Amino acid sequence: MQTRKRIWNLAVMLGLVSLIIASCGSNAATPTSTPSSTSLDINNWAGIEQAANGQTVNWYIWGGSDSINRFVDQFYGKALKERYNITLNRVPMADTVDVVNQLLSEKAAGKTTGAVDLIWINGENFASLKQANLLRADWGQSLPNSKYVNWANPAVNLDFGEPVESLESPWSSAQFQFIYDSAKLQASELPRSYAALKEYACANPGKVTYIAPGPGAFQGTRFVKQALFEVSGGAEQWLGKFNQQLWDQWSPKLWEYFNQLEGCLWREGSTYPKTENELHSLFANGEVDFSITQAIAGAGSLIKDNLVPVSARAFVFDDNMIGDFNYVAIPSTAPNPAAALVLANLILDPELQAAQILPENGFGLGYGIDPTKVSDPALAAKLSNAAQQLGDAATPASDLAKSLRSDIAAEYQSLIEQGWEANVLRK
Amino acid sequence: MSYRIIVWVLALILLVPIAVFLIYAFAQGWFFPALWPERWDSGLFLRQLADPQLRRAFGQSLIIATGVSILALVLGYPAARVLELQTFRGRGLIYGLFFLPTVVPSVATGIGLNIVFLRLGLAGTLFGVMLVHLIPVLPYVVLTLGSSFARYDRNYEQQAAVLGASPWFVFWRVSVPMLLPSLVVAGVLAFLISWSQYVLSLLIGGGKIITLPMLLFAAASGGNQSLIASLSLIFIAPLLILLGLVARYLGSPATGATPRP
Repeated sequence: MQTRKRIWNLAVMLGLVSLIIASCGSNAATPTSTPSSTSLDINNWAGIEQAANGQTVNWYIWGGSDSINRFVDQFYGKALKERYNITLNRVPMADTVDVVNQLLSEKAAGKTTGAVDLIWINGENFASLKQANLLRADWGQSLPNSKYVNWANPAVNLDFGEPVESLESPWSSAQFQFIYDSAKLQASELPRSYAALKEYACANPGKVTYIAPGPGAFQGTRFVKQALFEVSGGAEQWLGKFNQQLWDQWSPKLWEYFNQLEGCLWREGSTYPKTENELHSLFANGEVDFSITQAIAGAGSLIKDNLVPVSARAFVFDDNMIGDFNYVAIPSTAPNPAAALVLANLILDPELQAAQILPENGFGLGYGIDPTKVSDPALAAKLSNAAQQLGDAATPASDLAKSLRSDIAAEYQSLIEQGWEANVLRK
Repeated sequence: MSYRIIVWVLALILLVPIAVFLIYAFAQGWFFPALWPERWDSGLFLRQLADPQLRRAFGQSLIIATGVSILALVLGYPAARVLELQTFRGRGLIYGLFFLPTVVPSVATGIGLNIVFLRLGLAGTLFGVMLVHLIPVLPYVVLTLGSSFARYDRNYEQQAAVLGASPWFVFWRVSVPMLLPSLVVAGVLAFLISWSQYVLSLLIGGGKIITLPMLLFAAASGGNQSLIASLSLIFIAPLLILLGLVARYLGSPATGATPRP
């Protein structure tokens, strides 16, 4: 009796297990649904708006800033609903690489319709998705509002050196800047070059540090890259294709600079902040004299978020301050591609572009579009007005323009990160 | 006397973090060397409470954690009972399999399971997230119930059966009341573990299911301490309420509070 019951139980269990295994296999073989994206014609914009009507767009976006979250909900969420009857579902991510992993898993599972409609993306995450062939192609330069984008600008059509090829559409721009506390330092005392920064650091030991370069900390990598421009006598020679010889020629000089600087740094360079926010915190608590930001509003948005004192101001060196663009991309498995296209187009709307740079709106990054391409006088006036309302906490536009340099080939990125770790951190 | 000191020290260790969260959630612009924050402001905290996304995440976390607790008890009770009350070959091996998830990192299982769940159509569903939470939850439920079954006297059940009680009646009127304290503890543990899952929810939820820890981790990546503290307070509040509700089952006999069903 007892044994028969046991055999019966075993049989039921085996049956269940085989059922699960069987369903795994069969589902993998047959795609669960056909992609609706194939039927969309990017040149028939009215048709896209019609298809998007009533859809929900799932926008996966870094969610670490309360003010950016609110900007997205208030400015894009409202406009999408009112103008196009589209619901915005903002999905906050701790790290954009989580979206990349999600899309790779969906691909491995053989899904043709996923969960992600739009991603805020740039740099290595874009390169990974492009390489895995997971992005929707041929739309970025066909959006109606892409006429405002300066696609001829290499800073726009290259994303960390990787050709954008209409796989992304720009959202905003950023430029490397420093932050100081105007209650403690005069503008005339500020270092305006890497050489002057070293002098300042050694005259004020322990009051300077920077973000450790590495994957996910592009600000630190950029800080070192800009020093490379200065020690090698200029940024122009680094443009174009990757040049190993040039790197071999100048990298020893670069590590020499950083090793001389190290002894004068915060905690004598035994440790470095890993993120922008760690550096903001050190700066806000007076441990170091400078922080780093990429926002066109300078310290404005950070002041609004209570991350730095109200007397914080932004400044740049006289040269070699790298600027670039960030983008939105649509996965090829997007369940609502029409709504994603409408949102990507809405982002380039000159009125919303004017809103995004103002520190009080909480976003604070620069224009994704080129304001000179906006011919409507009312819209053009809005854009130039906004640019003039950035306030004291922003770097003057002329300083930004004078020091602006574009980023260089992606190969240098990992050389700098590995080289810094081997030659500076471990020495 | 020394016992009291230990209690106070433990209470302090538990309460200090909550006090720190309270200060950080409401203090604005507080930088070294200022002794006192520039100003106190509840705006950020209240805005989080009113945020529709946070409310939805809170509700989903609550549904998932409650569902996981029930599922874990339904699955864990028979497992613990058989493992402790019966002797059979391979018992140690099965116990070992149950505890495997506590040593294997959830990222490793999560990524693999995500692909399986995507194929099964379970990824991105509440039920799928509940199922995947069972992986870290079940070992603790089986362990908690198992230790009770180890001291369990089956003679009571037999007694009731001899007196004519049906198996169902025996289960509800004899087994459950006798095991109630450890069922409550196991259920609470299941709730706590499910409530604080991040990686598995993120992977299996795929952004379609947003739980409270996901909002908390996103905020933590931004480093705004007031925001992190506000969300942390919202995150721990239900746990404190839950612990308060079941406190009488958690006391050990040493404190004089013998648990009574």
